[in-house]
Amino acid sequence: MKVRYVVFVLLWLLAATAMAQDLADRVTEVTLDNGLRVLLVEQTSAPVIAFNLTFDVGAVDEPEGLGGIAHMVEHMAFKGTPSIGSLDPEAEAAALAKLEVATLALERVRSVGDADEIAAAEAAFAQALDEAQGLAQASPIDNLLATNGGVGLNASTGLDFTSYVVSLPANRLELYARIYADVLFDTTFRYFYPERDVVREERRQRNEDDPQGFLFEAFLGEAFERHPYRRPPVGSAEEIEGYTATEAEAFFDAFYHPNRAVLVLVGDVDPERDLAIIERYFGVLAAGPDFRPRPPSEPEQMAERRRTVNYDAEPQIVIGYHKPTYPDRDAFVLDLVDAILSSGRTSRLFQRMVIDDQSALDITTTSAFPGVRYDNLFLFYGLPRAPFVPEDLETAFYDEIERIKRAGVDAEELQKVKNQVRASVLRGLASGSGLASSLAFNELFGGGWENLVGDLEIYDSITRDEIQDVVRRVFTEENRTVSILVREEE
Amino acid sequence: MRRFLLLTLIPLATLALAQPADWPHPSELSFAPIDFSAPEPTRAELSNGVVVYLLENRSLPLISATAYVDAPAVFDPADMVGLASFTASQLREGGSGGRTPEEIDLRLEFLAASVEASANDAFSSVGFSALAENVDEVIAIWRDVLIAPDFDAERIEIERQRRIESIRRVVDDPVQIAVREFFFRLAEGHPSGFYSTEATVSAIGRNDLVDFHARYFQPGATIIAISGDFDGETMVAKLEAALGDWPAAEVERPQLPAFNPTPTPRVYYVEKDLQQSIVLVGHPSVFAYSDAYNDLSVANDILGAGGFSSRIFTEIRTRRGLAYSTGSALSQGFDYPGNFYAFSISRGEATGEVIALLIEEIRRLQDSGVSDAELERSRETIVNSAIFRDVSVAAIAARAARVELLGLPEGYYRRYLENVQGITRDEIQQVALQQLRPDELVIMVVGNAEIFDRPLSDFGEVISIELE
Repeated sequence: MKVRYVVFVLLWLLAATAMAQDLADRVTEVTLDNGLRVLLVEQTSAPVIAFNLTFDVGAVDEPEGLGGIAHMVEHMAFKGTPSIGSLDPEAEAAALAKLEVATLALERVRSVGDADEIAAAEAAFAQALDEAQGLAQASPIDNLLATNGGVGLNASTGLDFTSYVVSLPANRLELYARIYADVLFDTTFRYFYPERDVVREERRQRNEDDPQGFLFEAFLGEAFERHPYRRPPVGSAEEIEGYTATEAEAFFDAFYHPNRAVLVLVGDVDPERDLAIIERYFGVLAAGPDFRPRPPSEPEQMAERRRTVNYDAEPQIVIGYHKPTYPDRDAFVLDLVDAILSSGRTSRLFQRMVIDDQSALDITTTSAFPGVRYDNLFLFYGLPRAPFVPEDLETAFYDEIERIKRAGVDAEELQKVKNQVRASVLRGLASGSGLASSLAFNELFGGGWENLVGDLEIYDSITRDEIQDVVRRVFTEENRTVSILVREEE
Repeated sequence: MRRFLLLTLIPLATLALAQPADWPHPSELSFAPIDFSAPEPTRAELSNGVVVYLLENRSLPLISATAYVDAPAVFDPADMVGLASFTASQLREGGSGGRTPEEIDLRLEFLAASVEASANDAFSSVGFSALAENVDEVIAIWRDVLIAPDFDAERIEIERQRRIESIRRVVDDPVQIAVREFFFRLAEGHPSGFYSTEATVSAIGRNDLVDFHARYFQPGATIIAISGDFDGETMVAKLEAALGDWPAAEVERPQLPAFNPTPTPRVYYVEKDLQQSIVLVGHPSVFAYSDAYNDLSVANDILGAGGFSSRIFTEIRTRRGLAYSTGSALSQGFDYPGNFYAFSISRGEATGEVIALLIEEIRRLQDSGVSDAELERSRETIVNSAIFRDVSVAAIAARAARVELLGLPEGYYRRYLENVQGITRDEIQQVALQQLRPDELVIMVVGNAEIFDRPLSDFGEVISIELE
């Protein structure tokens, strides 16, 4: 065993170096004059390209009272531009302006008017909406991309960032550049008010009718006192119902600038030719201000916080500990702790709680939640297996933490998770869209795309002593928030 | 206060900026043709009849494989629903070839490899993923998981209790309830609609797992797809060494009950205190890749499966804001028909409106057919995205294996694409008239009737389902 182990470590280091070189050979990196960072990654096995356009714009950037507006803007980025989707751009712009006036009039009448006035304002709003929508296609961007063979068209908004993804046949690169540069240049906020209702439905589906979504919203509100990580990225029901197109457009104008974005292409690219196309379209965009409002920092937690959430569902528990984010070394150490605790069937928590004492249906841990731009939480989450209750899982979580504090981790266990980290990076290199999103993420928040592989050196250098030290410092009673979901007692 | 101040911004919004003058309109762009032929897997046969599809890809030092076995979940006896997937879980988790469960887990995780097994309505499968440098050791473990399981009694009990807990928790997820109850009603007595309960999971004993494995996991019922960083001939020799001693035996497939293509049209209602209603409407439909399927898949794409631009999505989501999730689907049936269904997850107060809209869109397809533009959009979407089937070598090899296992005719997909190119508006309307049955829908609603806008009895005879 001993000999084998040494050989494995050597292979590990060699392979990580080779991987870094292989990736570097395939990446072309350019920053346009307006600050847009572009990464072209050659992967020529098939004539397709995975596109990922990520902005470091998210819910943390939202003003008070407009929670979820970043997510609403993400939905609007699918609605088209004057030249994509409009039947008559000038008439449509006038109709949309009229619709905004009708919207604000309706809102005002709802707070101060009588029933007749409200009915009249509602009718005027409905008519203005109809008129504007009659002047445009419903989903012009999807239509263009899909008919050109696009697959996986999607977007997501988190607390830290907003990503737009699609894969296209490689010969459609210019179409992509034409569409997305135009989206940044001049998105039309059409079909806004029905979309507001769509987002309201999304919130009902994910945060209200789903017990886990419900629990996590309450948990984050408890775990963070001041930092915007306390807010659900989708916004509250009241906030969503009150959005206007004008407010969404103002957020878009304030934040959607090329200097806040990275564009990654993975696939059958020809860097010289393709960069000229990207420059032709995206190069037209003006850089925005570098200004970024800094959210209020989170005060140090001084005592345990606990909250019980009542919901008609089987019980769940979530526990979070405040911790630093990257590039603080503790963040990397805790990634390995996460793997030691819950990655795979031999992980400590799975082995103990699912296999040995059988108190849990399932458990998981997460080392960076709910975002990474700012200091965040290490999470423990579990579903008890009846007749066990959440408190049984809580006790087991703490026992396992104490065991590491007391006795540390084994050398072989540490090597196992290091091997897993390397293999997962290697497997990530095989995919198109997955690689694009990992590179975008590292470029914006990980200190540079190279660190996707480069961080392996950090992980490899982490020692058993460091793990024990970080676990002792972070997993303390006064630093934790515990939320439990149970049925209301009758 | 904030909102009234914003009034002053409005004039800015009226300034419609055109795109820069030298940008072509997207419709004016032209694209160089793509010259690409997808790599073809090699087919080999081991001495005992196991078929292997191999596809080399030396770009990264990784190898992955899946053994597909003709042991689908529809083989589950009615009183032991869950048997196929329970068996698959214990192939992986119950120890094999004399190795304990712990030994297998430790070794695989130290090697950063994985071996996993699962079962669905079409087949069981046992796959692995390994770094090329230790593929021999991983193949040895995978081989034992596939053909020499030990079925550790303690692990069986752990799995049984976890399954019972999962069943208990299904009720917490309204979409899972709706889907489970809906397909049970569509299949009316056929195993493709069965679902596990505490009773069926409790009825499964260790000997049932041993029997299921012994009966259906046979060389002649197994097709392997393997791809990655290897030399084909060497890999066939490795597989022969690993699996060649697996003795071939006759497999007798169970006789499945006849599938009733016309289940009783009814409205099924599950009461749950929710903000939204989960609505599903549909009926059994055609066999996959039959002539009717080819036309119906395009009709369905235009109706609700074609994403943002499809009719149901446009009407229910984009124009009316009534749902985040809505659309339609046509599932693929091979031994029995697939299902056609439309769905929406919408606020409870709009339940009746949404059911009526889903039915209306199906009728509109029958009454007025589709436009040239819609047909063109759907055709281009299907044909131009076909290249994405050939992006991953693992997917190409896996598809070749599944095609042979399911008995699909060779070149079925090429013919499907040819058919799509030639399809006419008239054919779309005809297939909608022949294959869609808006008057015979099974309707499933999970939600809170107290807030519905219309009584469900407007849509047919209502049966309330009591959950255990």
